[in-house]
Amino acid sequence: MTDQQVLVKALPAEPPPAALPAPGRRRRFDRQRVAMLLFIAPAAILYALMMIVPSLQSIQLSLTNWDGISPTFEYVGLRNYEDILTADRFWNAVRNTLVLGLGSALIVNLIALAVAMMLDKLHHAQGFFRTIVYLPALVSGFIAATIWKYVLNFNFGAVNATLKSLGLDAQTRDWLGDHDIVIGVLLFIICFTLGGNTTLIYLANLQSVPQELVEAARIDGASRAQVFRYVTWPMLAGAVTVNMTLMMIAGWTIFDQVMVLTLGGPGFVSETMAFFIYKVGFGEYRAGYGSAAAVVLFIVVMATTVIANRYMRSREIQA
Amino acid sequence: MTNVSSKRAKERRRLTPGEVVVMAVLSILVLAVSFPVLYALLNSFRGYADITKDPMGLPTSLDFGNYVTLFQTTEYGEALLNTLIITVGTLAILMALVPMAAYGIERVGGRTGRWIYLLFIAGLMIPFQVRMIPLVTSMNEIGLYSTLTSVMLVHFGGSAAFGVLLYCSFIKGVPREIEEAANMDGAGRLRTFWSIVFPMLLPVTSAFVIIQALGLWNDFFIPLVFLDASSAGTINVALSRMSGLMASQWELIYTGAIVATVPSVLLFAAFQRYFIKGMSIGAVKG
Repeated sequence: MTDQQVLVKALPAEPPPAALPAPGRRRRFDRQRVAMLLFIAPAAILYALMMIVPSLQSIQLSLTNWDGISPTFEYVGLRNYEDILTADRFWNAVRNTLVLGLGSALIVNLIALAVAMMLDKLHHAQGFFRTIVYLPALVSGFIAATIWKYVLNFNFGAVNATLKSLGLDAQTRDWLGDHDIVIGVLLFIICFTLGGNTTLIYLANLQSVPQELVEAARIDGASRAQVFRYVTWPMLAGAVTVNMTLMMIAGWTIFDQVMVLTLGGPGFVSETMAFFIYKVGFGEYRAGYGSAAAVVLFIVVMATTVIANRYMRSREIQA
Repeated sequence: MTNVSSKRAKERRRLTPGEVVVMAVLSILVLAVSFPVLYALLNSFRGYADITKDPMGLPTSLDFGNYVTLFQTTEYGEALLNTLIITVGTLAILMALVPMAAYGIERVGGRTGRWIYLLFIAGLMIPFQVRMIPLVTSMNEIGLYSTLTSVMLVHFGGSAAFGVLLYCSFIKGVPREIEEAANMDGAGRLRTFWSIVFPMLLPVTSAFVIIQALGLWNDFFIPLVFLDASSAGTINVALSRMSGLMASQWELIYTGAIVATVPSVLLFAAFQRYFIKGMSIGAVKG
């Protein structure tokens, strides 16, 4: 920052733009504009090729019966969409995605908020505790799931072994193979966190709550619960919007845990939408059908993001 | 945003019982949540027979044999190198293109700038699954399928959206006068950008690089789709292949999980300050 200030002082005062002759100014302006568009071009082209074009191609593919390999395919209109929307397997994946995505978004946000509030209470060693609270977030969801896969193994896993040694043989389960509990187990594993980034965002926002406001409310006789309800919580609305939106977008595309732990099984019981698209598109050679599912996923993600943002923004106060 | 000075003033008071309780609770929570990693760490020092016979047993000695075996008998070393190349390579492409583009978008401004901005931001709402199938086909056609380049390019698509969002919100606050003055002094626009504007973006660059580095290092889905058996894959892909075998070697998988996590921890340890600042830059504004 100091460099800039030095620079600003060192530079001669620039003549006001209006002092320039009009034609020259326009030419300079145009050249500036072209230069700036050239600045954008490389990123924009690569981005378009990697994001926009393939997304549009997906819409096109979703109208075909392409298998992903053969050179030819036929347009089948909206048949893929009809098939998807009438398939129990797809709706099961939607339900799992809702339970896992929305469920984990809510639970992780609650955990993160609680942890952030505890950190905010600390006046000593806050930095140290903030660091160790963040550490578990450095382990990726994939790695954690891989470890859990073995910890939950039916025959040799640590969980069942511990239950047996405690004499609780009746409580041992095939944790990842029992269709009644597998979604619950996945939800538990996804939520087995202290929030990491989510916690940091809440903490930063908690620390920006003016302490005077809290004290004034306390002096006026508000209880701790009332201070939270009427002072802290409204001030956190922005952070809640950001965190819930981020977690929900991530939630709609939950894949790693399913791929590692259950492969969608037993049967199709634990498939999520992201896993369904992957499995159908690559494992079952139904690229057209998989593309249609991907387009449905996109519509769901966009709709929930926009609606959630609008709803939550309306509850925010302008700070 | 109000600063925390009023809070700071009180920091000197004595440790209250409430604080001690909070510290204890947080410590217990961290230990509990770290259970899978700690468990993997302990078992990375044990053999297969020990692990399966007594899953809750402790290692009897600090034997690094599994670490040696992992690198000697599997392709994990190559996978580690691939992951590093993908992470650094993607970051290099991002750094070369995204800050410049964001700067261009802000300076073009007006309706054009807004439309280009929105086009980039739309990418935040397009899940990878939506573009996955056509991308595999195209990469195959141009002969890039199962190369590290394909993974980097695909990563770029997703990360550029987030990068443009971060950089644009930051560049709004950078005064134009400095660049205009430099331009008048005869510096070319590219030079002005790289030598004057880019250094001013350092706070957002450090946040962006660290967040992305962690995300790229940990990613599983994109390399899974774009790297087939002809490549050693990334760390996560290699682990997934090892654990997919009929007779998977538990001790090596635990060891691999620890090896995969160490770089993240080192990165965090080295840049902790930027990490926490970065999260607030990205999120408090929303």
